[in-house]
Amino acid sequence: MLAQQIVSGLAAGCLYALAALGLVLIYRTMDIVNFAHGEMAMVSTFVAHTLLARVGLPYVAAAVGALAFSALFGMLVERVFLRPIQNGPLISMMIMTLGLFMVFNGAAGWIWGFDPVSFPYAVRGRPVVVSGLIMTRDSLLVLGVTLVMALGLYLVLRLTLAGIAIRATSQNAGAARLMGVPVPRVYSLTWGISSVLGAVAGILIAPTTFLSPNMMAEVQIKAFTAAVLGGFSSLPGAVVGGLLLGVLENIVAGYISTQLKSTFAFALIVAVLCIRPSGILGTPPRRKV
Amino acid sequence: MNASNNDAASPTIIRRAVSAISSPGGRLASGGIVLVLLPLVTVALDRAYVVYLYDLVMVYVIVALGLNILTGFTGQISIGHAGFMAIGAYASAILTGRLGLPFVMAMPLAALLTAAIGFCLGIPALRLHGHYLAIATLGFGVAVSQLSAVWEGFTGGYQGMKVPVASILGLGFNSDLRYYYLALAVTWLMLAAARNILRTRPGRALMAVRDSEVAAQAMGVNLAKYKTASFAASAFYAGIAGSLYAHLVKFISPFDFNLGVSLTLLASIVVGGLGSVTGSVLGAVFMTLLPHVFSRVKNLPLVLTGVSLIVVVLFLPHGLVSLPWRLKQAAARMRTRMGMRGATRRGTA
Amino acid sequence: MALLEIQGVTVRFGGLVAVNDLGFAVEDGAIHGLIGPNGAGKSTVFNCISRFIRPDAGVIRFSGKELACEPHEVILRGIARTFQNVELFRGQTVIDNVLLGLHAAGTVDILRGALRGRGARAEEARLRTRAAEVLDTLGITGYAPGLACGLPYGVQKLVELARALVSRPRLLLLDEPVAGMNSAERVDLAKTIRRIRDELGVTVLLVEHDMSIVMGLCDMITVMNFGSKIAEGTPHEVQHDPRVIEAYLGEDAENAPAC
Repeated sequence: MLAQQIVSGLAAGCLYALAALGLVLIYRTMDIVNFAHGEMAMVSTFVAHTLLARVGLPYVAAAVGALAFSALFGMLVERVFLRPIQNGPLISMMIMTLGLFMVFNGAAGWIWGFDPVSFPYAVRGRPVVVSGLIMTRDSLLVLGVTLVMALGLYLVLRLTLAGIAIRATSQNAGAARLMGVPVPRVYSLTWGISSVLGAVAGILIAPTTFLSPNMMAEVQIKAFTAAVLGGFSSLPGAVVGGLLLGVLENIVAGYISTQLKSTFAFALIVAVLCIRPSGILGTPPRRKV
Repeated sequence: MNASNNDAASPTIIRRAVSAISSPGGRLASGGIVLVLLPLVTVALDRAYVVYLYDLVMVYVIVALGLNILTGFTGQISIGHAGFMAIGAYASAILTGRLGLPFVMAMPLAALLTAAIGFCLGIPALRLHGHYLAIATLGFGVAVSQLSAVWEGFTGGYQGMKVPVASILGLGFNSDLRYYYLALAVTWLMLAAARNILRTRPGRALMAVRDSEVAAQAMGVNLAKYKTASFAASAFYAGIAGSLYAHLVKFISPFDFNLGVSLTLLASIVVGGLGSVTGSVLGAVFMTLLPHVFSRVKNLPLVLTGVSLIVVVLFLPHGLVSLPWRLKQAAARMRTRMGMRGATRRGTA
Repeated sequence: MALLEIQGVTVRFGGLVAVNDLGFAVEDGAIHGLIGPNGAGKSTVFNCISRFIRPDAGVIRFSGKELACEPHEVILRGIARTFQNVELFRGQTVIDNVLLGLHAAGTVDILRGALRGRGARAEEARLRTRAAEVLDTLGITGYAPGLACGLPYGVQKLVELARALVSRPRLLLLDEPVAGMNSAERVDLAKTIRRIRDELGVTVLLVEHDMSIVMGLCDMITVMNFGSKIAEGTPHEVQHDPRVIEAYLGEDAENAPAC
């Protein structure tokens, strides 16, 4: 029973991890928590649905198209709305992303309607049973995609020039600029990647939540929790935090109450922030006197 | 030449009118008369339903004031303030409805309970800065709304619960018009209290915490004390507003206090002006009327709220309250530019 | 008698030893200079006295009693300070900044403030009178109603000094008081500091890089380098100490303590 809860929790955890990765990437590079992250993912998922149902593209082509859209969308949002205020106070940037959250959420309803629409699973077929543990094919795919994305992101950041530029900027934007790193382009790129990560999470979660403007509300809060749990400044932390949250929450739902999932997430946030504000893998922020 | 004279004259008249109204005595007297007569005129014009909106505006003015104390003056962001409002509303509803307490006792008790919870939330919040605090308060708001749905025995769950009519010494505030004067009295008290706090030692200490924690400590400001006190005071305001809301609408459910409400509250202080009492009032009026003016198109109020946030952040960082000052500045700039152009023309001639 | 005694104070940041077994005493009524090249640990010493940093070892005594309190209690003991890069409350007016210097002298809390009873009003009036007095002493009364963030840098420094002085401290810590000022302003401020000591009897401990100011103003100077004390004495003694000259070699000629 417990083992099954854990395995089922992992699939949900992967989605939280993907969404959290996007959040953490932007936070590390620009010191912004993007409250519109989930809504941007929702918009990209609707684009995928349009390509699939209206244009009639096959699943893979629609997904790729939607991801390309999401990359451009992310860069556009950064360029138009965040770059003008990038040196402003923290609260301005936070309010800006909250404003974007409202606009995207409201406008999506106008464009794609308010009623939940079904979205196809990427793979179908009978669940796989491994030594008594049941896993749907879809959750196996989710697991696989998350691993590939996380590993891919790791390799990009480690090995490519763009990745090194991102890491340099996140450590010290001023110094990076002096060393010839095109910081504005790094910000663009970061938003592009982050938006794609969110879109992947959106496309993968849509079959279970159904497609609607509010589909990401829950995931967004979970992604925040995952990021806090793992440490907002750590990319591996986001993955660990996401998986851990997925598992813990499934256990809470299984043994205590399904209705209290979000409350549990909040309790977890407060607990983590009280005991170890830097999360599991994050480094404590240095405060200057 | 004539045209330019007219240009110069009209702003002077406006400026004089503005300064006459905005002299302290004049403002208080004229404002008081307008506020007392406003609902009567509205009813006389056969727009009785608008009085309900006035009542609602005052509820949100009180919460916005409280949120501004916390976010605008102390610099501690809260994205879960509807949670505090919910606690005040449910507490007041339960105290009057289930325990039969009179309204005059229930309202302050509900607010004190909310303040106590705010104080408790303030303690973990001491260790949190900026984004982390935002996320924690967001979680708090969602959790309260969810808990109020789960504790059906107390709150009636998603079905909601009825709230008795507020009455003081046998006088029932059962019409929107009567309720208006109750709300007006409460709002006036809360506004005066906020102004008093902010103009004296505790208010300066809160702003010091916002502006520089290091210097604040060096001046003897106990950060822990003032941050938790700010949470408690802010929650007290939300508690009063929650109670006022509950007895106005007489039926509450978790939907009244969801994340959207928290965001609207934050939007009202940002749009009105962070760190400004007048700004809180302007913002609350703006944000309460917006959904009613644009209620025909679904989601339009939400989008407009978002757009106004974006516009304010980009172009009016100090909110609506700074608009007159900004316009005056722009006018002055324009005048100098035109003056300079005139001078060059004369120079070339 | 020594007003402030620092004994064996050591501060480590990770592997870096910022202050190493430092000891010196500030005599009551003195203007005491703490100098040294950049990174010598002078500001860290100030932050230890303000209790923002707890030393890993050592004792700091103020008028005979150990300073072991929270940062916000330091001012109650009679120690006020200014900061290296002006830390004014930027969103508030000059008069409110100075009134904050009197925070510790007041008692009105949020509840009493909200009710604004007779006591609260009387206290507010008392604080305002005192704040106006200090603004007048420093000649910046005209700036009182303006916002602190829009002022010229030199005036900001004076406001910060007023904010520290208003609480009638016994010890005033000044972290680079003349940095960023022009030479006329510097001379004026040096006179003001001397007046504060002579007329108000406030003991002053200051960190400063401008050697002509330090040498002209201080009764006693402690020289630090790499976290340790390398010399101590009157300006004359310090100027001729070979260790001090060596520490400053390679530094800016302007900064070297020779005159």
